[in-house]
Amino acid sequence: MTLSAEVRQAIQRHKDRYPHPKSAILPALWEVQHAEAYVSPEGMRLVAEVLGVAASDVQGVATFYSMYFQKPPGRHSLLVCVNAACALRGADETAAYIERKLGTPPGTTTADGAFTWDATIECLGGCGYAPMMQIDHHFHENLTPDKIDHILERVGGEPAPHEGHAAPSTPSAPSGGGKPPKRRR
Amino acid sequence: MAEYKLLTKDFGIEGLQTLPVYERTGGYQGLRKALRDFTPEALIEEVKTSQIRGRGGAGFPTGMKWSFLPKDVFPRYLCCNADESEPGCFKDRYLIDESPHQLVEGLLIAAYALQVQHAFVYIRGEYHDQRILLEQAVEEARAAGYIGTGILGSDFGCDVIVHGGAGAYICGEETALISSLEGNRGEPRLKPPFPAVKGLYGKPTVVNNVETLCNLPHIVNNGGEWFAGIGAEKSRGTRLWCCSGHIEKPGVYEMELGRPIRELFEEHCGGMWKGRTLKAFQPGGGSMQVLLPEHIDLPLDMDAVMKAGSSLGAGAMMFMDETTCLVNVSMRLVDFYQHESCGKCAPCREGTYFESDLMHKLEAGRATAEELATLTDICDNMNGKCFCPLGDTATWFVMSAYKAFRDEFESHVGAGQCPVQARNRAASVAA
Amino acid sequence: MSDASTPPQTPDDGLVGVSIDGKEVRVAKGTLVLDAASAVGVHIPIYCAHPKMDPVAVCRMCLVQIEKMPKQQPACATIVQEGMVVHTATDAVAKTREGVLEFLLLNHPLDCPVCDRGGECDLQDFTLRYGPESSRFPITDKVHFDKAVPLSDKIELDQERCILCWRCVRYYDEITGEKEIVLQQRGVQTAVATFNSEPLTSDFQGNLPEICPVGALTHRQYRFKARPWDLQRTKSVCPECSYGCNVSIDSRELEVMRFASRDNPFVDDMWLCDRGRYSATSWNDTTRVRRAAIRHKSGDTREVQHAEAVASAAAQIKRVVDQHGPTAVGFLASPQSTNEELWLFQRIARQLIGTPHIDHQLDAFPDLSGAEHELGIAETEECNAVVVLGPEPEANAPVLTLRLHKAETKKGVRVLRVDATADAAQLASDVAGLALVGVIADEGDRTRAAEVAGALARTNTLVKRLTITRGVNGRGAKDLGVLPNLLPGYRPAQRGGKTGREILQAAAAGQIKALVLLGGGHFADAAGELMLTALRAVDVALAIETRPGVVADNAGVVIPGHAYVEKAGSVTNVEGRVQRIRQALPPATRTPLETFVLMMLATDLGAEDWGKSDPLSVNHAMCAEIPAYRQAGNGGRAIFSGAGVA
Repeated sequence: MTLSAEVRQAIQRHKDRYPHPKSAILPALWEVQHAEAYVSPEGMRLVAEVLGVAASDVQGVATFYSMYFQKPPGRHSLLVCVNAACALRGADETAAYIERKLGTPPGTTTADGAFTWDATIECLGGCGYAPMMQIDHHFHENLTPDKIDHILERVGGEPAPHEGHAAPSTPSAPSGGGKPPKRRR
Repeated sequence: MAEYKLLTKDFGIEGLQTLPVYERTGGYQGLRKALRDFTPEALIEEVKTSQIRGRGGAGFPTGMKWSFLPKDVFPRYLCCNADESEPGCFKDRYLIDESPHQLVEGLLIAAYALQVQHAFVYIRGEYHDQRILLEQAVEEARAAGYIGTGILGSDFGCDVIVHGGAGAYICGEETALISSLEGNRGEPRLKPPFPAVKGLYGKPTVVNNVETLCNLPHIVNNGGEWFAGIGAEKSRGTRLWCCSGHIEKPGVYEMELGRPIRELFEEHCGGMWKGRTLKAFQPGGGSMQVLLPEHIDLPLDMDAVMKAGSSLGAGAMMFMDETTCLVNVSMRLVDFYQHESCGKCAPCREGTYFESDLMHKLEAGRATAEELATLTDICDNMNGKCFCPLGDTATWFVMSAYKAFRDEFESHVGAGQCPVQARNRAASVAA
Repeated sequence: MSDASTPPQTPDDGLVGVSIDGKEVRVAKGTLVLDAASAVGVHIPIYCAHPKMDPVAVCRMCLVQIEKMPKQQPACATIVQEGMVVHTATDAVAKTREGVLEFLLLNHPLDCPVCDRGGECDLQDFTLRYGPESSRFPITDKVHFDKAVPLSDKIELDQERCILCWRCVRYYDEITGEKEIVLQQRGVQTAVATFNSEPLTSDFQGNLPEICPVGALTHRQYRFKARPWDLQRTKSVCPECSYGCNVSIDSRELEVMRFASRDNPFVDDMWLCDRGRYSATSWNDTTRVRRAAIRHKSGDTREVQHAEAVASAAAQIKRVVDQHGPTAVGFLASPQSTNEELWLFQRIARQLIGTPHIDHQLDAFPDLSGAEHELGIAETEECNAVVVLGPEPEANAPVLTLRLHKAETKKGVRVLRVDATADAAQLASDVAGLALVGVIADEGDRTRAAEVAGALARTNTLVKRLTITRGVNGRGAKDLGVLPNLLPGYRPAQRGGKTGREILQAAAAGQIKALVLLGGGHFADAAGELMLTALRAVDVALAIETRPGVVADNAGVVIPGHAYVEKAGSVTNVEGRVQRIRQALPPATRTPLETFVLMMLATDLGAEDWGKSDPLSVNHAMCAEIPAYRQAGNGGRAIFSGAGVA
């Protein structure tokens, strides 16, 4: 996939919004991720070029934030929160149910490429409506097995949300660079 | 029911997210009044009079924070901290979901008081739908002349930029937020210099929480003295309480400060679920120390809760019933800090990793007594030694839980499994 | 300013008083606790702090207790306040250090025995001094990273050893501005890396392993080569250009292992360029002229003792002088020679032979004067603006780039890099009204530089020039009058002589009958066929020569010279700083040092009472004659501004 002139223009528009061009790195990286599904080296180079910053700085930033994919993910991203408040209301069971449904362990992508999913310790701000998950950044809360079945079936058949503002969702642990710490739980 | 609706009074009105409906409920009257009746200096004084303290966690008096800006240094910047990521907190999301214009209005009032021409809302990346709502509100407000040059016929002009984060709890720390907004890694910075002197782009900067700003239209409309009449002696106004855990009715409730926690717990939350009993609760959010049933009659007052050894923090209340394993809860919170440590300083980066390693062993009943002692020691080596509060707070809940539930922690040592969960399983088989 | 009747409690001397472990000291305002402690001899361990970079306070190793502050504070980032009371020797601080070391070692590998840094590693050293006896963290749970990642053909990165002190990142941010290494990922996964794993391209990579406090960044050239305790460290000056960076020549037995920097804040500011640093091992080339030899016109060559060679050359030179006069002798010395060698060389030519034909370069340098060397390297930081003509100054003295970057970013100096043909009037209007402007040019552009400086000076600006000379001691050769038109100290010669090229041409044409060459091989490439023709045409050519080549193979008398790293003496850098070099390797020849050989030649040519021949004695004799060098001593600047213009 090559980065279109539209992506370049979108980055330029973000740049123009800010008092200082470098501030536009995060929104610019979102544009790259929308276009390429992840923050590709070419995309980071483009961001650097348009904003007039070092490509190394762009990558340093891109790899700091957990929501930018460093490798191409599945069509949809799914995150189940397993932090304390959600866990008190059964998030572990929810995660286990989703693992059975998707047939692949957390931190991986389903065989059909429909979902990249994880059980994340990062609080997603749905504590009052636990258990909860985010799919492509949209909240799904007060989950029950029936509800999960329904959502997965509906979303799994949809194409990736790349137009507009909808960005793919959060990988829980950064990948690339060093090897990830051993998985727990 | 002892509720006091100030910020949430109009929540639930159909279409409140849109400008016409927000205006019908009295929206943007506060901004009008501020521009019409106040000089920026007088507005800062009015906010001082209100005695409002910041709602982000530290509880610093907002008016005083504003008055730290050096005179005659421009440009200055204002950032709304909507990077709500503290475990257990979801009030800012609620405030934006229900009434984005209330935040925009508050932001503009603060911008006027501080004579800021660029105001930012730094909203966490995970709040995608909320960011869209805010961006729509900003565009509506711009079209209506609330944002831009010569706002409402005055000579005050201000642009509002909604800036989405991309997944980093640390960006809620104000200097990390500024780093991130500048397009850097979201790592905290050395203080001094403080943001009020040298913040965004090296210029004087104020960072205020969403809820703090949402209070401003009400303070301007009704007066600082009126506001200072609400709530407790040193905790004025209301706060939004994010209630979660083993309660009948989790959710966000607005209550006057100074009321007893019991009122929130029993009347709003409906008490414990499934007829169970309260074992412990955590006020303030994932960083704060655990409190016990005996603390349920404490007032919702920042200083009173601090005296009891915890904090009201960012307004969370996580309730735990008798089936809860405090080691398990501690482990998750420690894992969270390990996941969110930015890696800048050694005690936080390595300490949270060590802590997490030990907590997983302990939770699984594989830790030795020596390792439990090590846990305490490494928490001591982290607390107060880290670059920013993240690493320090990564030790607070676990250490308070260990102190309050020493038997429970020690019963995990060498048990080969979690004794609390084993007990729960046995009980459910028996039942 | 205080009322005379109520004397102030603290003297108003711009200093603040602070107590550190009970030791009182007064230090300048703005001093860091770390530096104040060092001033009273209290050692505070550091990893992230670095004297040339801004504090970041990330390693937390330097936390100390300060009275009235609830938390321990980083000494590297805390500025002393009047009356501050600091404690570093408490149990609490000891526990912090032990704790921080345990954290830093948590995910650090146990590979000290195979780590190049072992023996000069701050992590090893502080662990021994302040660290815990053992780690409580299970070795099986360590995070693993990539080891031995080549970052370029020069640098290797071991991410596991990295303790994330940010020095390399800040180096690229603050010192070179190139931003090649950044932090990637976060938390315990944080690692230093380049964009998309692309190789480093900086010309200053070699500084990375030196600022790295552990063995994460290492020199590929030095990988697995030596242990620091086996190294002999010799203080010297980098031979690669005339900038004069201070180096330590680290050798083991008969080999140079590496060049390490020695911080000279006036010159290198502790940074070396890769060209200089990695030239280190080139000195291990042992292709040498090893024995003195006398070569007859027939081609017969006879190896002799050096004394016989000197005597033979002297006799032949005398014969030429007797038959054709002193102007039939030409002297040519390489700018790689030491001041002491050049001083003797010049004296022999002018005082013993009486020829004006002496030079250290091939082509003419009209209007040379001390004024074009007025601006000091560190002084660029005090200029309001610095004009750099063309890319040559930085290409020929690379470390200048880092000084200019520092001047620009930390001192706010305007650095104008302009084409050498830039319009002088335009430049003058750009900098008009500024108090002090520096003009830096390569010696090839010195005429242009003079024009520009002249135009700038007419705008009421004080202009100082710095000319980048060639060869490690090109500046010394000029100062010492190894020039056809100038005597030592830029005093005009009564009678102008021939330039280097003219000397060779005259020799080839049969006008010059005797040549004395000191390191003549230096000119072989630039002179081309002319060198060979000249050598064959003259009656006698005496060559003191280190390596085989056209000069050593064709001169009538050859005496082995010494490689730079085998010599002692002094060299003078671009700004006139006279700096000592010392013998790092034992010589590859039994022939004595050049000063001895030259003194023998002088004696054979009739010198009387020229004193001792060792480099230090020659240096004293030289300083006695040249006041600027006497004032410079070892490490100071020889200033000749105002000295006569030819």
